[in-house]
Amino acid sequence: MIDVETVMPISRARRDRLYEFLSQRRMMIGFTVLPVVLLFTLILAFPILWAVAASFHDIHAFDPEWHWVGLENYVHYLFDDRVFWHSLWLSASFAAVSVAIHVVVGTAVALLLNHTFPFKKFVSAVLFLPFLIPTAILGFGITYMMNSTFGIVNWTLVDLGIMETTRGWFGNPDTALYVVAAVNSWKFYALVTIMVYARLQSIPSEHYETAKIMGANAWERFRDITLPNLKGVLFLVVLLDTIWMFFKFDIIWILTGEGPSYSTRISVIYAYQVAFQRTALGDAAAISVLLFVIVGAGALTYFYVLEPAEEVRAE
Amino acid sequence: MSHEVDREGPGHGADREGPSHEVDREEATIMDYRGSIPVWRHLRYRHRRLIRRSILYVGIAFVTLLILLPVLWMLTSAVRPVGDVITRNPSLVPSTVTVEHFADLFFDSRFPIYLRNTVIVTAGVVLLSTTCATLGGYGLTRIDVPYKRTFARGVLFTYMFPPILLAIPMYILWSNIGMINTHLGLILAITARVLPFSLWLMWKFFLNVPYSLEESAQMAGATRFQAFKDIALPIAKPGIIAVAILAFAFAWGDYTMALVLMTDLDMFVITTGIEASFFAGGQIDWGLVLAGCAVALIPPLLFVYFLQKYYVHGMSAGGAP
Repeated sequence: MIDVETVMPISRARRDRLYEFLSQRRMMIGFTVLPVVLLFTLILAFPILWAVAASFHDIHAFDPEWHWVGLENYVHYLFDDRVFWHSLWLSASFAAVSVAIHVVVGTAVALLLNHTFPFKKFVSAVLFLPFLIPTAILGFGITYMMNSTFGIVNWTLVDLGIMETTRGWFGNPDTALYVVAAVNSWKFYALVTIMVYARLQSIPSEHYETAKIMGANAWERFRDITLPNLKGVLFLVVLLDTIWMFFKFDIIWILTGEGPSYSTRISVIYAYQVAFQRTALGDAAAISVLLFVIVGAGALTYFYVLEPAEEVRAE
Repeated sequence: MSHEVDREGPGHGADREGPSHEVDREEATIMDYRGSIPVWRHLRYRHRRLIRRSILYVGIAFVTLLILLPVLWMLTSAVRPVGDVITRNPSLVPSTVTVEHFADLFFDSRFPIYLRNTVIVTAGVVLLSTTCATLGGYGLTRIDVPYKRTFARGVLFTYMFPPILLAIPMYILWSNIGMINTHLGLILAITARVLPFSLWLMWKFFLNVPYSLEESAQMAGATRFQAFKDIALPIAKPGIIAVAILAFAFAWGDYTMALVLMTDLDMFVITTGIEASFFAGGQIDWGLVLAGCAVALIPPLLFVYFLQKYYVHGMSAGGAP
């Protein structure tokens, strides 16, 4: 029998023992799943449960004492606070307009991209770029470019004869929210484009060829091949996008804040103001939980009514 | 039926009362067709192709310019002299190029502090979330852990929990344990935003890597750990890169979490810092704002150019910073 130590250097034998030690099932679980579970508990589950607990208390930022008030916070916002209900309506309008723009523009761009044309790599790099640009930076840039006195957007539109004179885009209470939604779409349409484009590329080209030979025209090919294939991904993207846009905070906060005559005080901005301007943290926690329950219920209904099927499975 | 109407074949859809039908059907040619042909079909293939192509090109050029021009405008405005930044009729290409805003930005403002904070936080988030997501994704696909499906669904569900609503409880919790205004506090907060999606992405990625590769390595004498380290990890590289870019994009562009959790001006990141320092007091210093934005735009531009396929792979599963 050969002595292992003479064949293998000691360090290697030690390394092998380490590998074997790490290969035990318990160790594998320990260094793969455990960190994620711990981290998840610490930074997601715990704060969320903390918020739920806080929502039953009266808490002020500079007072460490929590005063138990039971359901009072919830009752107040559900029944006595018209601002909260109005902010919900504003959030829903913002989400609806945003998602409509994203889906229409995003799908159209994905369909354009699905053709072959020169400089395709460059063009797709440009079209996917907005998604990586920080939303806050977009906000600052837009504040500059849409400025009412020297903004390039205003002057271009005036020079082209589309507008008579420059305007303060974010100053009109009737339109401010929708202008913000449009600006935000400059970035977030790309979410739809990327997801739809990935799906389009996976449709076998034989399907189109066969349909063409069978005599289907372009519209029929689109209706009978492209659309059914996109159904799943569009269901998913509408769900995700609606949730994100319903809770969109940064771009609105940067461009208009609560807006001219509170016209852009959507519910997350209201929650933020309650938390950090009125320093009523318990109330803000109650609003957060309410919002999450409302949106969660909406998402579940969407799931069960439309059954977006296998596209959304977690595995 | 509708499929056949547009074909150029003889006979279909022809006006049955027309005189041409006295011609023997066997000898009918395209010239005898008297039905209505759409104008489009009268054009030669070459012309139809030309029209189709030009519509496509115009559409693509339009969208591309719509995206490209604002970015270019921000970048070029950052190198314009002060007088040109807020002028009514600027030239598209700056007449004079100056770096004075960048000099001010780096030597005469708090921007370097903000940049340092952002870099520390971004590095932390990328390391923490990429490591945890890769290991966790591997463990959840390869090892039979109890309740793993429930766990994965729970993780995905928290992905819907919006940043601002997560920031409020975190503020309450962090201020109780003294983690407000620390890099670690912000790193953990942003990781909470990134982790659910990255874990999901890595989970899906490892599902597509055949386990048989690792099994055959183990047959050949490798330990389970070696099979993970030398087989699974290298194959998962594209997924890991996608997850890392995603984490970078979240952390680099974060505004909401930093706004809530960093209250000391020395702990601000670039996004909140630009707003706090250069927008302050009604007097906006546009030169500095634009220079700061230009710096913040460098990584996205590099990523989209060099790592496009990884990033698109990550985003196509639904990640949104």
